[in-house]
Amino acid sequence: MAFEKVKLPFSLFTLILFGLILLSLQLMSSATQESSELSALYSWLLLINGLGSVVLLSLVGVNIYTLIQHTKKREAGSRLTRRMVSLFVVLALAPAVIVFYFSMQFLHQGIDSWFNVEIDRALEDALELSQSSLDQRMRWHLKQTQQLTEKLQDSSENRVALDMENLRELSGATEMTLFSRQGRIIASSSINLGDILPSLPDKNIWLQLRQNGEYVAVAPAHEEKLMVRAIAKVDTQEPQYLQALYPVPVRVYDLADSVEFAFVRYKEMKFLRHSLKITFTLALSLVLLMSLLAAIWVAFISIRNIIAPVKQLVKGTQAVASGHYDEPLPVIAQDDLGFLVESFNEMMNRIAMARDETRIAGFEVENQRAYLETILANLTAGVISFDASYNIRTANQAAYRIFHIHVNHFIGRQLLDLINDRSELAEPLKSIQRLLEQAEDIWQQRIAFLGPNGRQELLCRGTPLYSQEGLRVGGVVVFDDVTDLIQAQKNAAWGEVARRLAHEIKNPLTPIQLSAERLQHKLADKLEPADAEILQRSTRTIVHQVEAMKEMVDDFSEYAKPSKKETVDIDLSQLVKEILALYTLKSGVKFKTDYEAGVLTVNGDPISLRQVLHNLIKNALEAIDSEGLIEISLHRVQKNNTNFIELALYDNGTGIKEDQIETIFEPYVTTKTKGTGLGLAIVKKIIEDHGGAIWVDTSRKVGAGFIIQLPACHSEPL
Amino acid sequence: MLSSRYLAIFFCCTLFWLLPFTGYADDLATEVIDAEITLQKDHYVLAADIAYQLSKKATIALQSGVPLYWSLQIKLLQQHPYLWDKTVLKTDIHYRLQYQALLNVYRLQNLSSGETYNFSTLYAALDLMSEIQDFPLIEKSKISPEEDYLCALKVKFDRGLLPVPLRSIAYIDKQWYLSSDWTLWPLKK
Repeated sequence: MAFEKVKLPFSLFTLILFGLILLSLQLMSSATQESSELSALYSWLLLINGLGSVVLLSLVGVNIYTLIQHTKKREAGSRLTRRMVSLFVVLALAPAVIVFYFSMQFLHQGIDSWFNVEIDRALEDALELSQSSLDQRMRWHLKQTQQLTEKLQDSSENRVALDMENLRELSGATEMTLFSRQGRIIASSSINLGDILPSLPDKNIWLQLRQNGEYVAVAPAHEEKLMVRAIAKVDTQEPQYLQALYPVPVRVYDLADSVEFAFVRYKEMKFLRHSLKITFTLALSLVLLMSLLAAIWVAFISIRNIIAPVKQLVKGTQAVASGHYDEPLPVIAQDDLGFLVESFNEMMNRIAMARDETRIAGFEVENQRAYLETILANLTAGVISFDASYNIRTANQAAYRIFHIHVNHFIGRQLLDLINDRSELAEPLKSIQRLLEQAEDIWQQRIAFLGPNGRQELLCRGTPLYSQEGLRVGGVVVFDDVTDLIQAQKNAAWGEVARRLAHEIKNPLTPIQLSAERLQHKLADKLEPADAEILQRSTRTIVHQVEAMKEMVDDFSEYAKPSKKETVDIDLSQLVKEILALYTLKSGVKFKTDYEAGVLTVNGDPISLRQVLHNLIKNALEAIDSEGLIEISLHRVQKNNTNFIELALYDNGTGIKEDQIETIFEPYVTTKTKGTGLGLAIVKKIIEDHGGAIWVDTSRKVGAGFIIQLPACHSEPL
Repeated sequence: MLSSRYLAIFFCCTLFWLLPFTGYADDLATEVIDAEITLQKDHYVLAADIAYQLSKKATIALQSGVPLYWSLQIKLLQQHPYLWDKTVLKTDIHYRLQYQALLNVYRLQNLSSGETYNFSTLYAALDLMSEIQDFPLIEKSKISPEEDYLCALKVKFDRGLLPVPLRSIAYIDKQWYLSSDWTLWPLKK
């Protein structure tokens, strides 16, 4: 098993600093003891600890300020840090303050308990006793000295020194000196033979001596001993003073010293009681303050380290929320939070993979959809899909081309809403809607309506759509414009009829005509005038009818043969002008022309196109009165990205009946009493052979109007 | 929530609390009344008259057995017009004053010389410290006649030698500000 390195939540620097703080506090605590060698450093230690407190306070302050700033900015993890720090401070502060309070109580009471009246009195009494003892001794020694002075009164100057030696030995004094009144040493004797100079009284002693004539006092001596200095006046002619120094017994001195020491110590302590309390309070407060500040500071560091992964997680979740999965979070520690971060990274990785897969799938679906849409858009058949409520979901371009309505604009609306724009579509659309709603399977229907370009026939196929659960989720309608197909079929049929007529009927007509003329020629002279008249009339009728039939057959032949024989570029405006020039001579009819500026060129057979114009103008002239008006206009138009030249021809004649509009271009449909009814059929055929279209302008309410659109020549600018 | 303004006020208060009281209480401070350095034979000697004062608290402390320490700081500085002054001489005289309850005397010790004196009154003890007579400082040969010298004298009450409990208070209580200011005068050669 591998040993994992235990990582502390704070650095080595923090540990060292914490250790220094503890050491400093310990030193200060030791320094408060008077006997300690550190007591000399007390002030410095106090200052150092005070500065330490300020440094810690600053650190904590900076941390609090930073935390406040982070909280204001709503940074990740700041609120959790604030809560944890607050909790820690409260948890740390409450017991510390309680302990501090009771420690102070105990300390103050403890210090106060050292002092009481009895001890005070006892020590003062002891001191007084010592002083009384010394006083008694002093008085006794003074008296002893006074007695010695009497013995010296009679001594001559020569014997004084010797007598003093004896007296000193007798009295037990350590030193004896005789002074003159002026302070001169007359004689001296000391127990220590080495002492050359005796102990001299100072000026205060001399002052007392001169006032009282005697002096006694206990004075400290060398080697921490006490001695009694007794001075008495020697009654001689010239006054002299005898000073005797008596040693205080060692035992007495020790006892007195002990008492004094205790008394002084007690008194000093009593005096320092207040200061002692303040000092201890200060030291204790400093310890508490530094400990708390250090703890709070370490708490900040520790909490910051603990919160760090949480902060990263918050940032990670924010990144995930904003769709960034690419940056894994660093794993700081191998603990629970580290495990959490690892799990988070794994989750993020999987989400990223899932997102990528979804994106790829989305791209594929989108490509598929775009592909299908492209196919749908380019289909010649219109396709409209519906949802479950039969609202339009999609419609392709072909739907617009067929219906001439922007079905795309009606997405989300009902099919019948298209009727609002085009009332002529009402019936077919209603029929489709009904089939959509009712049909359970694929259906097919042919519908017809009158479009802007004439009659249109559609072949509609529809199918309902079902979900995998079998629920009906909509439908699709596909419709083809079969107008041209049907027309082509019709044209082909008529062409065949015409061809057969030309072949089957025209051939016998010439023999019939020739035979009738022969009959007339052979029999006219042989018959009676009355019969000859009948014959002539009959043969004329036959010839005329054969001629008519020939014309009819020619027309059919004309209709059957291809109209686009030889194609050249034709300036349509020029062509119209040429043709109109033939008709302007006819009186009473006015021609109004409107040509768009520029050259309007089409590619076609000029003879066929002349015929078209002749047929149309002829029809118009036949339809109008002698005072009629024929308007011809030529314009360029664009349709399905193709340039067309549009020729519109209007008259103010009798017009076309509505029931004839749909069939006007079919052979044998005519409003006139004479004619074969092939005129417009041929026109339509020629126009369609040229790739154009012709239709009746139904919007025109007066007279009749035909609109022809022919593809413009490629060189034709638009 | 604490704002930065409150934090600033808090820091200022803390600093104010930590600032030591730098001003001396003139009425309690020791005063150098007169001081002069004169040449006697081959030596320059100091003579000074110093007025020692004790505050009420210092007197009570003394009488309660607390020893008090003074040091007489003497400096002789060689003056330089553009540089720092050079310290030619620096010497201290240390005094220790303590009350002896048993004998009811004030014991004054000159710690520098080792002499001990006993006085029945406090004033007598202070008088002894007050008068400095013929205190030898420096040999004549060590003083250059071309240079200018500055004499400096100060009486420092040594709070650092007070009992530990009293020490911290002594630094913030004016009653314990018993030191004198520096007294400066030029050396007469």
